[in-house]
Amino acid sequence: MAPHQNPKIEIRNISRTFSHTTVGSDGSREFTALEDITLTVRTGEFLAIVGPSGCGKSTLLDILAGLSPATSGEVLIDGVPVTRPTLNRGIVLQGYSLLAWRTVRKNIEFGLEVKNIPKSERRAISDRYIALVGLTGFEDHYPHELSGGMQQRVALARALAYDPEILLLDEPFAAVDALTRENLQNELLRIWNETGKTIVFVTHSIEEATYLADRVAVLTTNPGTIRQVVDVQLPRPRSEGDIRSTPEFGRIRHSLWNLLQNGGAHA
Amino acid sequence: MAEPMPKQQSAISSLLLRSSGIIFFLIFWEVSSRMHWIDPYFLPRFSAVITELWNLAEDGTLYSNMIISSARAIGGLAIACVAGLPLGFAFGRWFPATSAVLDPLLRIMSQVNPFLVLLISTLILGLGETTKFAVIAWVSIWPLLFYTMTAVRTIDPLLIKTARSMGISESGLLLKILIPAALPTIFTGLRISAGITFFILVAVEMLNASSGLGWYEHNAAMNFEINGMYAGASVIVLLGFLLNRFFISLERSLFTWRAPVEFLLGGAKTATRLALWRPGRVGIAAATLAIMGLFVSGSFEIVRVNTERANSLAGIDAGKHARHLGSEVDK
Repeated sequence: MAPHQNPKIEIRNISRTFSHTTVGSDGSREFTALEDITLTVRTGEFLAIVGPSGCGKSTLLDILAGLSPATSGEVLIDGVPVTRPTLNRGIVLQGYSLLAWRTVRKNIEFGLEVKNIPKSERRAISDRYIALVGLTGFEDHYPHELSGGMQQRVALARALAYDPEILLLDEPFAAVDALTRENLQNELLRIWNETGKTIVFVTHSIEEATYLADRVAVLTTNPGTIRQVVDVQLPRPRSEGDIRSTPEFGRIRHSLWNLLQNGGAHA
Repeated sequence: MAEPMPKQQSAISSLLLRSSGIIFFLIFWEVSSRMHWIDPYFLPRFSAVITELWNLAEDGTLYSNMIISSARAIGGLAIACVAGLPLGFAFGRWFPATSAVLDPLLRIMSQVNPFLVLLISTLILGLGETTKFAVIAWVSIWPLLFYTMTAVRTIDPLLIKTARSMGISESGLLLKILIPAALPTIFTGLRISAGITFFILVAVEMLNASSGLGWYEHNAAMNFEINGMYAGASVIVLLGFLLNRFFISLERSLFTWRAPVEFLLGGAKTATRLALWRPGRVGIAAATLAIMGLFVSGSFEIVRVNTERANSLAGIDAGKHARHLGSEVDK
């Protein structure tokens, strides 16, 4: 899939500082989580953001989602500044965050309820996304009855169900075992291919970023800045054959690794 | 659930095994009284207590006092819910700073002995029903309030974040996330409140009432109606037990979506007990209606009995109830 060239998300000079008052000291101390981030995500593109923990990846995703404001700079989506959360962005957080009291179907329909979509339509839509993530037969199960991988599929289907143009994924596969993780990665690529969403995928795994993304933005820590954006020119579909053992994959993986290593030393 | 259910037979035998202690206790009670191991004047035979219980059920005394006590308990708990639940949500979510400031005060208030409250409330509100409701509400509000605050505070922030990312309204967040997520913990608070309520209610009725199970019990004791005293005590114990079981099974059937920790702790026996009662929406509605009905009929009974007692106090029909008035007039 060739991504369109027109920008979907424009991140312009985003900075985010947190001030926290400590007891006993006068005044507050400032901590810069993100500094001067500028990045453009193209329509239909799969962009990964990698960085060590504490580099502000999740903060950046929160700002993209409209959940927290940037201290300075702005985010434009289709040319419109982001001020608050809306349903044109779907978010999947680390640790599933499923509603334990709702069945698989009712979890997937949650965003549709927020969107006030009538019940009969909700059902048709949830049926489609249950099938898309391969959970047919588990509609009436509660989250605690599912494996970690299945719960992650529910979280993904929930974000997809209200048909956002952009998917924001915050380390979605961090909590599952290696084999399940590979399956979920392939599934995500298939869904991306079928739906044509623009995806921003935050991860701390270089390997995962290389495997999934069109481009990888490498963040350095303290303060979080973009060190480099790397093009991943690996053929698609990537699930065919063992692309992870090709020399090209290894080369990209290694260059990302180098960037992260030097990024750490620079702080 | 995927767990295989144990056979019916093993459920029955486990029930028998579990009640064997109770059966043994009752037999021992009967025998020790019959054999005069204990003076039967102090401990009448179990069978005599049952006979007395039957008499009380037949002449309506039991029914009247039971619904009166129930109405007081339900009314007091309802007041506690109406005040405690919104306060708990408000403190837990919207005014964390206020709640931090008020916390020490609330903790001290919750430790104020209900009998002190009874005295103060009698001083202000008099001897009537309002005092009883006030004391019961006072006692039962604290577990409800504290459990609700904790429940709301400990909701997984990622759930709130996910819902927020969908642009959910504050009221939508309350209805679709906060309340359902907090409900299991709130229910535990409600169960604890109900238990304490029942304890205190009986005590308050002993001190300060002319009707209800506590009053009946106290009155029987003061009149040396020992069989009646034991019969009343049995009813009080049994009701307290049933109340607790009711809340536990309600919790289990309402919150089946929770990971069943009991399976790990209690093994298969818990699995059968879990399946005993699954009321569903109709069942819940029926239970709610029944509770409301109990409250209404109990309230009417309170009014009826109080009027009757007032009339007899005024000298009308005095002879008929003279015996009951002994303890009343002393106050």
